[in-house]
Amino acid sequence: MRNGLVQRLLDELAQVWNIAIKDIKVYYLTPPMLMFGLMMPFFMFFSFSVRREMAAAQSVARLLALTTFFSASSAGPVIIPLERRMGTYDRLLAAPMSLVALLFGKSLVGAFFAIAVSAVPLLVGLLWLRVAVANIGVLVIGLVMASTAFSAFGLAFASVPTRSVGSIMMPSTMIRWPLLFISGVFIPLDEMATWMRPVAYISPLTYAQDLMNHAVLGMGLINTWVDLAVLLLSAILFLLLAVWMHQRSRRLGY
Amino acid sequence: MSLNNSKAIEVSNLTKYYGDLLAVDHINFEVYQGEVFGFLGPNGAGKTTTQRMLTTLLEPTEGRIIINGHDLARDAYPVKRQMGLVPEESNVYTELTAWDNLMFTARLYRVPRAERVTRARELLETFGLWEKRDVKAEDFSKGMRRRLSIAMAIIHRPKLLFLDEPTPGLDAQSVRAIRGLIRQLNAEGTTIFLTTHQIEEANQLCDRVAIINHGRIAAIDTPERLKRAFQRVQSVEVALESPEGSEPSGGWAALPGVTTLVKMGDKWRLYTDDPSALLPQVIDYARTHGLRIVSLSTLGPSLEDVFLEITGQQVGVVRHETKGGGVRRGKGGPRRDRQ
Repeated sequence: MRNGLVQRLLDELAQVWNIAIKDIKVYYLTPPMLMFGLMMPFFMFFSFSVRREMAAAQSVARLLALTTFFSASSAGPVIIPLERRMGTYDRLLAAPMSLVALLFGKSLVGAFFAIAVSAVPLLVGLLWLRVAVANIGVLVIGLVMASTAFSAFGLAFASVPTRSVGSIMMPSTMIRWPLLFISGVFIPLDEMATWMRPVAYISPLTYAQDLMNHAVLGMGLINTWVDLAVLLLSAILFLLLAVWMHQRSRRLGY
Repeated sequence: MSLNNSKAIEVSNLTKYYGDLLAVDHINFEVYQGEVFGFLGPNGAGKTTTQRMLTTLLEPTEGRIIINGHDLARDAYPVKRQMGLVPEESNVYTELTAWDNLMFTARLYRVPRAERVTRARELLETFGLWEKRDVKAEDFSKGMRRRLSIAMAIIHRPKLLFLDEPTPGLDAQSVRAIRGLIRQLNAEGTTIFLTTHQIEEANQLCDRVAIINHGRIAAIDTPERLKRAFQRVQSVEVALESPEGSEPSGGWAALPGVTTLVKMGDKWRLYTDDPSALLPQVIDYARTHGLRIVSLSTLGPSLEDVFLEITGQQVGVVRHETKGGGVRRGKGGPRRDRQ
């Protein structure tokens, strides 16, 4: 019995990896992924940072949080509707694995994508702007945790049963953009109006930005462990929300 | 494949509502191990909904599905390992090569490494795709994608294979190849659940068929038994030439015993309860009107006739009124109405 459970777990982990690798091969270079996941965060950052006096290290910390957030949360809303349209999603749903494994595999795709994309501002900061990273351990763990949490965040949107990328991107953008303004990315937490701060603490992006501040600038407003715990909790909650929405779709027949 | 009494699928009281719409209405049926089971029905009858419930893609509102002894609601995992699914759309990854598509699916079903390579090669050769193994599926024809999607569905040697409309839109060569493959898989022991509109396909392939209409099973039996149950649906088919080369028409419907008159290409089909009584009348009619009989045959009910009788559908050929002896040609292509 125990061997059966262990084998099942190993099988599911292998399937998670299999799905992630397949999606990387199939979707990373598709136009919607490049547009929403790669170009948009950079355009947004430059449009808000031009003509503002900002230290290079501060720019890198913000850009890391921004790219992680946008790139990771774009993967699910691009990939799942495309898979639904091609009918390949049914292949995955009918395969011998749990819904959690399927969605975890999908969340890894977004997480890997975000880590790869965030390497661009990091390398530019390190090699060109000569920014020194204050805590490399926090940086690595922070990028992994933030990418995973935001990828799961995107999956929750992608669980809306539609075959159209636009039908998911529109509501997801309407939620993602305001989060940028209340999460300390464009307006740092310590400069934020007092009444806005409680709102900021609701957003998981606040904790990702704070982690990047700890990692790059060596200081943040929230305890590092609290940041990590909130991101881990967010990843679990968003994944469970995605599972629940998939089960609901299966029940209602969308 | 010889059938045995053990059941591959047991469906009891299966029901599906979409909101207030009742799509599948408390259906019951069984599929035996080693059987090719056809699931026929007009559009919107509940075929695809039923198949999606059987393949775990949709949760029933009510009822129970047992596949190979496992209750699908409680224990879907072992069932999923034993089933393959070929949906109506060829759901291959177009950005991947044929080989990568097969490797991905084999890993998904945990086929061991050594076996998946051997199996993939064997399938690609069987399906005539070995030479194209490194070509992306986006460059494949519809028939090639279909073959690849079937290969993906059987790479793990499923005991039970669901096929949803496997042949529409394919060229004759691909259709023949796929039907041959279904027979071969069945001969090797795979139970086949075939959802199709193609009645002749079901007639050729299926050990038993179920006809679903308005969400209910209207009939379930072997094709031949179903045909026998509808012996009243018989016909005389005649092809004629008139001396002037003009198309003969008109008075067939006035012949006693003709219930429905249908034009099918260059032939006329006269539906009757008693073909033997009608035959001499047809010959007399032709002689009287100076028509030369090119061919003349009597036909028993086809599975399509049975299907149309049960579902009251209108497909196939031109409708012609028989009352009053008039003959009428429908507009916009063939159509048929059974009275």
